Amino acid sequence: MNGKKASYAIWLGVLGACILAGLYTTITLFREGHWLFAANDVVVWTLPLGMYIFLALSSSGLAMLSALPTLFGMERLAPSSKRLVFLALATLCGAFVAIALEIGNIWSMIYFIISPNLASPIWWMGALYTAELLFLAVKLGCLYAGDRQSALNKTAGSLSFLCAMAAPMVLGAVFGTTESRAVYFGPMHSIFYLVMALFSGTALFLLHTVICHRLKTGRFSPYRPAVDEVFYRLFAWSAGAAIVITGVKSAVAASTVIPEFMAHRTLNTPFGSLFGFPLEAIVGLVVPFALIMSPAVRKTTTGTLATALIAWAGSLVIHMKILINGQRFPVGPKAEQFPDIVTYAPSPWEWLVALFAISVMLLLYTLGERYLNLGTDGAVTR
Amino acid sequence: MPQYAMVIDLQRCVGCGGCSVACRNENNVPDGIYWSNKITETVGTFPDVRFHYLPTLCNHCENAPCVRGCPTGAMHKLSNGITMHDPDKCIGCKYCEFNCPYGVIYFNWRSPHPFWRHTEPLIEGGTFSPSEVTQKAGGKAIPYYNPDREETQPGIRPKGVVEKCTFCDHRVQKKLLPYCVEACPADARIFGDISDPKSKVSKLLGKFKPFRLKEHLGTNPRVFYIRGYDPAHYEASKGGYK
Repeated sequence: MNGKKASYAIWLGVLGACILAGLYTTITLFREGHWLFAANDVVVWTLPLGMYIFLALSSSGLAMLSALPTLFGMERLAPSSKRLVFLALATLCGAFVAIALEIGNIWSMIYFIISPNLASPIWWMGALYTAELLFLAVKLGCLYAGDRQSALNKTAGSLSFLCAMAAPMVLGAVFGTTESRAVYFGPMHSIFYLVMALFSGTALFLLHTVICHRLKTGRFSPYRPAVDEVFYRLFAWSAGAAIVITGVKSAVAASTVIPEFMAHRTLNTPFGSLFGFPLEAIVGLVVPFALIMSPAVRKTTTGTLATALIAWAGSLVIHMKILINGQRFPVGPKAEQFPDIVTYAPSPWEWLVALFAISVMLLLYTLGERYLNLGTDGAVTR
Repeated sequence: MPQYAMVIDLQRCVGCGGCSVACRNENNVPDGIYWSNKITETVGTFPDVRFHYLPTLCNHCENAPCVRGCPTGAMHKLSNGITMHDPDKCIGCKYCEFNCPYGVIYFNWRSPHPFWRHTEPLIEGGTFSPSEVTQKAGGKAIPYYNPDREETQPGIRPKGVVEKCTFCDHRVQKKLLPYCVEACPADARIFGDISDPKSKVSKLLGKFKPFRLKEHLGTNPRVFYIRGYDPAHYEASKGGYK
């Protein structure tokens, strides 16, 4: 067995072990209940939901990118079509693992279909992400059949793009429409999630491309692999937009006299802020933006890798901080049973759920790259 | 169809917590979950200090955020205005709990009443185990189990779903009062049909200026508070100078 095969076997072994740990976590969670999480009746949504948001938004970003060659006529990106669609699908599968272990009673999911509440943003979020999954699967099937111009491919491409745009906004509305928590910024949260979807999806694609290039060539080339400039531009644009939105949110939060915001100014958070601007946004948004705007960094493999990695991991931290901070103050009579400000650190079970979701995604990536001939345009020729 | 509402008279309420105890017994409410609860607040600096006590429960809002947000309709409105929850339909997403501006919805993080499932006696050969006590008392899961709760909802809700006050809908449908109203020793809770001008709740709401929690949200709660309690007197002065 040569070194490359051994590394591949070890990698599959590590992923297999993580997935086995995830299955054990699943069984334990269903048997014991969600008290295994560090959640409570004040901070009800924790790391598993943060992981879902992170992966679902990344998937939407990838699905948006996949529309560039198939829907918007950017033919030069056609060799990336299958990879983008497949990555979006695999990332969404990881997101579904996280959300499945977050909800308390998965056995009642049938009521999602037979008893839908069309007024509920959660229902629309679930429906849109399920639709996105199905349309992406059809689109991928068409790409494998070499069928790029048929009505079916165009319809699936259009609908998956619309779902990829709508789903992050509805996910934002889950937070933005809540009456009890002004600090989620209402409709602005939807816009923020849409921008973050494009940002994290592009970061993930750059990361994936650089790592695949390294694995295929066996070395880090000093010059980055051939990634179309449009991905760098979209990355910079979405980072810039997310910085502006975060800046506006920070300015509003720092100046308003709405009681919820005034209370939040007293919070001590793990990542703190710099001149009122959240520190994790500086690391996760401003630093990648600055790096990608530098031609010297952009043209190197290491620079692209570091930028994409910081951006992608940073977006998880950004989502987690927003998610948790919005819940830390007990509402109404819950202040009688809980401290004035509830602290949160993920439990080992939550880390295992997060690891499970990421491992499923990575296993699908690995198998896809190995067996699905993702780097070609048109029908499978193997 | 009657439209049920509750008026809580804050001058009559003595803050004994009897409503909460009665609620737990009637609805088999697990530890850590409060269908009937309170908000307390201490204001001022000694000796100029006040203590506020506000009994709370599900407000059975006309425009209930929990109902609007529930993806499966597990949280729903009955035609009599009661906000009801169906644990069978609940997927345990906790959005109602997240969305409720009043903090009155709780999640069953574990199987309810774990203490009463213990099989080890406190003193070996000296006492029964909690599960034996339950068995001898003829209870189901807990010794003080109330089977009446099963008439409209599972008597004890399972882990993984939310639960909250139902205005004791199982009693109301039998023309009985919610049990917190029945048990209140000070008659501070008045329950009835707000659409009937002759009902006690309608008369009280006409006679006293009520307030509701977080009215600005537009949820239209069906729990009203009247006669805020403040018995203190103070010495007369001229604009605070004399």
